[in-house]
Amino acid sequence: MTRQAMYVKMITSSLLRRRSRMAVALLAVAVGATILSGLVTIYYDIPRQMGQEFRSYGANLIFIAPPGGDTSGEGVSEAAAAEALSYIPDSAVVGVAPYRYKSAKINEQPFMAAGTDLEGARKASPYWFVAGEWPQDDGFVLIGQEVADTVRLLPGSSFTLTGTDDGGESFSKDLQVSGVVQTGGSEEAFIFLSLSDFDAAIGGNGNYDVVECSISAPQAELEGIAAQISENVSGLTPRLVKRVTQSEGTVLTKLQALVFLVTAVVLVLTMICVATTMMAVVTERRKEIGLKKALGAPDRSIMQEFLGEGLFLGCVGGICGVFLGFAFAQIIGINVFSRSVSFQPLLIPLTIAASALITVLACAVPVRRAVEVDPAIVLRGE
Amino acid sequence: MNLLEIKGISKIYGNVKALQNVDLEVKRGEWLAVMGPSGSGKTTMMNIIGCMDKPTEGAVILDGKDISKESARSLTATRREKIGLIFQQFHLIHYLTAVENIMVAQYYHSMPDEDEALRALDRVGLLERAKHLPSQLSGGEQQRVCIARALINYPMLILADEPTGNLDEANEGIVMDLFRQLHEEGSTIVVVTHDPEVAEEAQRTVVLEHGRVARIAYNVIAPPIIL
Repeated sequence: MTRQAMYVKMITSSLLRRRSRMAVALLAVAVGATILSGLVTIYYDIPRQMGQEFRSYGANLIFIAPPGGDTSGEGVSEAAAAEALSYIPDSAVVGVAPYRYKSAKINEQPFMAAGTDLEGARKASPYWFVAGEWPQDDGFVLIGQEVADTVRLLPGSSFTLTGTDDGGESFSKDLQVSGVVQTGGSEEAFIFLSLSDFDAAIGGNGNYDVVECSISAPQAELEGIAAQISENVSGLTPRLVKRVTQSEGTVLTKLQALVFLVTAVVLVLTMICVATTMMAVVTERRKEIGLKKALGAPDRSIMQEFLGEGLFLGCVGGICGVFLGFAFAQIIGINVFSRSVSFQPLLIPLTIAASALITVLACAVPVRRAVEVDPAIVLRGE
Repeated sequence: MNLLEIKGISKIYGNVKALQNVDLEVKRGEWLAVMGPSGSGKTTMMNIIGCMDKPTEGAVILDGKDISKESARSLTATRREKIGLIFQQFHLIHYLTAVENIMVAQYYHSMPDEDEALRALDRVGLLERAKHLPSQLSGGEQQRVCIARALINYPMLILADEPTGNLDEANEGIVMDLFRQLHEEGSTIVVVTHDPEVAEEAQRTVVLEHGRVARIAYNVIAPPIIL
């Protein structure tokens, strides 16, 4: 048998034949590793999880016509909008709603008509409350609550939209109310038509006045996307909706700081728990340590044995913690964010390494006490 | 030729003089018994001879080298290389089997060798108990494992502290037979004991009282071995 094999034999026998004490230490490490792994998973998943939540607050990036220049006053062309959208990863796009605006009348009452991709608007503005239904076909529209109150329209009511198009010609289009929008904002004074209805009734140059995008990405990434678009795409200006992006960034930073602090506290508690258990183990095994020293064991060997036991506990606890931690993160994700978290393979080596390191650090003081044991205790019969 | 020479050693703990100006010589191959009442300084002398403590004054020369001024690390090395310890309470590691307990001594000394450890167990008549844990062995069997462990690295000096103190008569006989065998093979043995019958087996008995050598008795039955 080699020295290494004997070393492993001594450590494993010590752990396996003193199960109850080691089970306590292992439990402490496993709980610490579980919380570490779980919270780190959540820490990195919070932007994704909360990003989805924040998307409920509507668009966080808009494209508008560039100020001045040749294209001033002509809006954002479809080509420019499509090019700009190509800089946004598909997985991050929650919804895109391009808008064309034109003043129009119902019963001689002036309102603002907005032509948009209604499905895109629904995704980009999930906070809109619609009494009735979202329009499914051409000829059906959404009207704001203010419009509905003014001209006394309800879902299912028909009306005629009139006005003057860009060419100075009068237009008139019969439409039916599909739903009434309540947002608490300026949208309540709008009439929302599909782009095809808008173009058919009002016409225009085919450009958009504004394109609203709801992007699921952290503030820094969003700023990067905006900068890229600004640099590479002519014919539009990207603008971050700072009210949304900044508050999103602030909340995320605070949440991540909280999770970081909790993780740090848990790690310190784990270390204290493991150190206390190992201290008890050293006290319990003073006679055995004394015997080993009496047999001629150098301090280095005593240290290696205890650190080996600590390392073993750290690795086994870490392995348990990886999987239990993912389950823990999954439970939190589902119960708090109503979404599942994704497994990060990198967490396997990280959690095991962190658990091993913490356990070895926690063993430092007990090991120091172990090497100070006087070998003469074996002769005193203590 | 002397294996061990103790020259005027004293050991003082605060106001307590555990040993006072003790002189002693142990020849190679000699079997020496150390007797004395509790508090006479036997354990202190064991600690000093066993390289687990240093005298306050005086010199301890083991195998021609003064170990009284050596560092703790150097004493550990001397203990590992030159001394085999046998304890009254056996002190086997409870989570290792009999053969593994012997291999632990090999592990700290040089290289574990299971075959050699099994031969050592065979020598004390416990080959068939090699894979048993200490809790599965009787007191006498545990003491025999302890003796096998003490012998495994071929020590110059076997130091036994009350080796039969916890044994019944039958096991005491087995253990004393082993000591006689070792003595006949030329091992140097120092036995600390309360038991006059055990002391009588040695060639010479040193009686300590109040930290001093009170008297030395020679046993006529066991002839001294002169190498």
